[in-house]
Amino acid sequence: MNSILILLIGIVAIIVGYFVYAKSINVNVLQPDDKKATPAKMYMDGVDFTPANRNVLFGYQFKSIAALGPILGPIVAVQWGWLPALLWIVLGTFFIGWVQDYSSIMLGVREEGQSFGALSYRLISPRSRSILITFIYFYLLLIMGAFGVQVGFSLLTNPAVPLGVIVVILVGILAGQMTYKWKVDIILTSVITVVLAFVAIWLGTQPFAKTFFSNLFAYTKDADGKLVSPTLFLAVTQAKFIGSLLVVIICYFGAVLPIWRWAQPINYVAFWIVSLGILGGVVGLLIARPGMGDFPAYTKFTIGIGPLWPMLFVTIACGAISGWHSLVSSSGTARQIEKESDALFVGGGAMFFEMIFAIVAFLTATAAFGSFQGYQDAGGGAAAAAVFSKGLSAFMNQWGLDRMLGEGFGTAYGSVFLTLMALTIMYLVVRFMRVASAEALGDSIPLFRNVHVGSVVALLLTLVLIWLVPFLQIWAVFGAANQLMASLALLLVTVWLKSKGKKYQWTFWPFVFMFVTTIGALLYKAYEAFFINLPKTADPVANKIASVGQFTLAQVIIGGVSLVLVVAALLLAWDALKVLQGSKAPAKAEA
Amino acid sequence: MADEEKKPGFFANFKSILYGMAGHDMARYALKTRGSMEHLFILITMGDLLGIPILPPYYSLRLLPYVVPQISTWKRRMLREKDLTDALA
Repeated sequence: MNSILILLIGIVAIIVGYFVYAKSINVNVLQPDDKKATPAKMYMDGVDFTPANRNVLFGYQFKSIAALGPILGPIVAVQWGWLPALLWIVLGTFFIGWVQDYSSIMLGVREEGQSFGALSYRLISPRSRSILITFIYFYLLLIMGAFGVQVGFSLLTNPAVPLGVIVVILVGILAGQMTYKWKVDIILTSVITVVLAFVAIWLGTQPFAKTFFSNLFAYTKDADGKLVSPTLFLAVTQAKFIGSLLVVIICYFGAVLPIWRWAQPINYVAFWIVSLGILGGVVGLLIARPGMGDFPAYTKFTIGIGPLWPMLFVTIACGAISGWHSLVSSSGTARQIEKESDALFVGGGAMFFEMIFAIVAFLTATAAFGSFQGYQDAGGGAAAAAVFSKGLSAFMNQWGLDRMLGEGFGTAYGSVFLTLMALTIMYLVVRFMRVASAEALGDSIPLFRNVHVGSVVALLLTLVLIWLVPFLQIWAVFGAANQLMASLALLLVTVWLKSKGKKYQWTFWPFVFMFVTTIGALLYKAYEAFFINLPKTADPVANKIASVGQFTLAQVIIGGVSLVLVVAALLLAWDALKVLQGSKAPAKAEA
Repeated sequence: MADEEKKPGFFANFKSILYGMAGHDMARYALKTRGSMEHLFILITMGDLLGIPILPPYYSLRLLPYVVPQISTWKRRMLREKDLTDALA
């Protein structure tokens, strides 16, 4: 199928989904009233609660929800064939994705801007807040593992990439200094730092840089001409060890330094690199209008990652539906909504826009290489980040990027782009994990109140995941946790809608589907870890297990985390269903 | 009519979306940092207003005129129930 036709399918889904279905729900069910004071106006404190223009909020919401999820998910999922992946991206967004984002914003707007923790305490049960926080901690740890392994093992091990990333970070720090300390005009700052960032990425592709990092990684070429780095411990090579350490060091500074000094200015410079990359890729895609060649519409029901149901639905999270969006929507966006009627444009609109972003990522896997073999040669699902950077590069080369800036620039650019995109979220996640551990353990172990201790513990846990667990296993459990978070958000909205006497079928059935699917996925991953994979250690040679100790630990971690998430979700759902059935009054009524 | 606001054009809307993506988060964090510092200062100097006597009232009274514009938003922020999930936004 031609890529332009795929893009058109996405546009039709937006026209019908946003302008017909979403608008009818908006008008007939939640009935926004612009005369009502939103929390942004009612509780305006100039900090958290501040009314913002709908277009500004649209941009803020989109940037907050679109990270590595909508890129990597579709690239992993096309292993089942392009058709199931495309259908889930489009139908998932149409029936569930926008519903969650929009309703989470409206819930926050109508309930005085309270966050999900406070709302679950009030609407479901007092213990649900603690369960939710525990759940979120594990969920965020999985984000760190999934993103960390792609950045540390797949992107930074390319010798043309690390210099670009390091210098772009330094340029970001310079941007912070220029903006906040030297008070330089933001446009001048942007121009200088973005140009420097591009020069840095280009320098990274030059022979001196590649030779330096090849030597650092101790690369040699094997019989097939592939770069090979010596194994240091378990299955971690010298290149992967350095790459993963680089990730945690960058995240450490992002977590402990003031936001203005590190995370924000780096994210600002990264924004331009990412935006220009997407623009360049889309222009190339429109010029080339490639087809999918022999890329199969459907491969088979069960592949390495698991059966199509439930695993496809957790493999593609962002881009169809994602629990992360509900956290951003309720705690961040809902407190800045100026008028209730803006919520659909901001929440629903940004979600549909992200669907298009996911389709572009989908096309980098299915159309950029012209064949299924090309996708597999680029790395396949296990190296989804590498597939994206090569695919994006193939699109950008349509208008001659590599001809202008040298062979390999496009791939290096795509890799720096993805690394920065991942880091944008990872700083925030480590900060949150630090605060969560200080809150939970600070009273019993005062050491956890120290910012460095909380950050280091979070990053050590991240390293354990990166070093021990293969990417596809982390990604599946991360996706399941993410989707489970989404289903819990839908449940919370359903409880709220029922308590207000409004129609709730449009959130209840998506909740049921997502809940059953994600619990199924997590139980499958736990079953796979304990009953399919662990017995394989009895014969490591026949099962191609390089390190029995690592393999065993990985299965115990994945199986254990899956079960913890299942128990937390079931407890929360049990409490919520009691409220939904009316057999138990919510906390507010008890008080 | 003076009350009628001119609807922003395509480029103005595009500019706003671009600002939302690139700079809004940055501006919010800057505001948060300033807000936290200011609110900490008011807590130390005007804690009595929330029933937390910290400084002798003489100094509080001397500072009061400078702090008055911030007091209402400060009270709202200090007394609002906070949650861990707030840290994500």
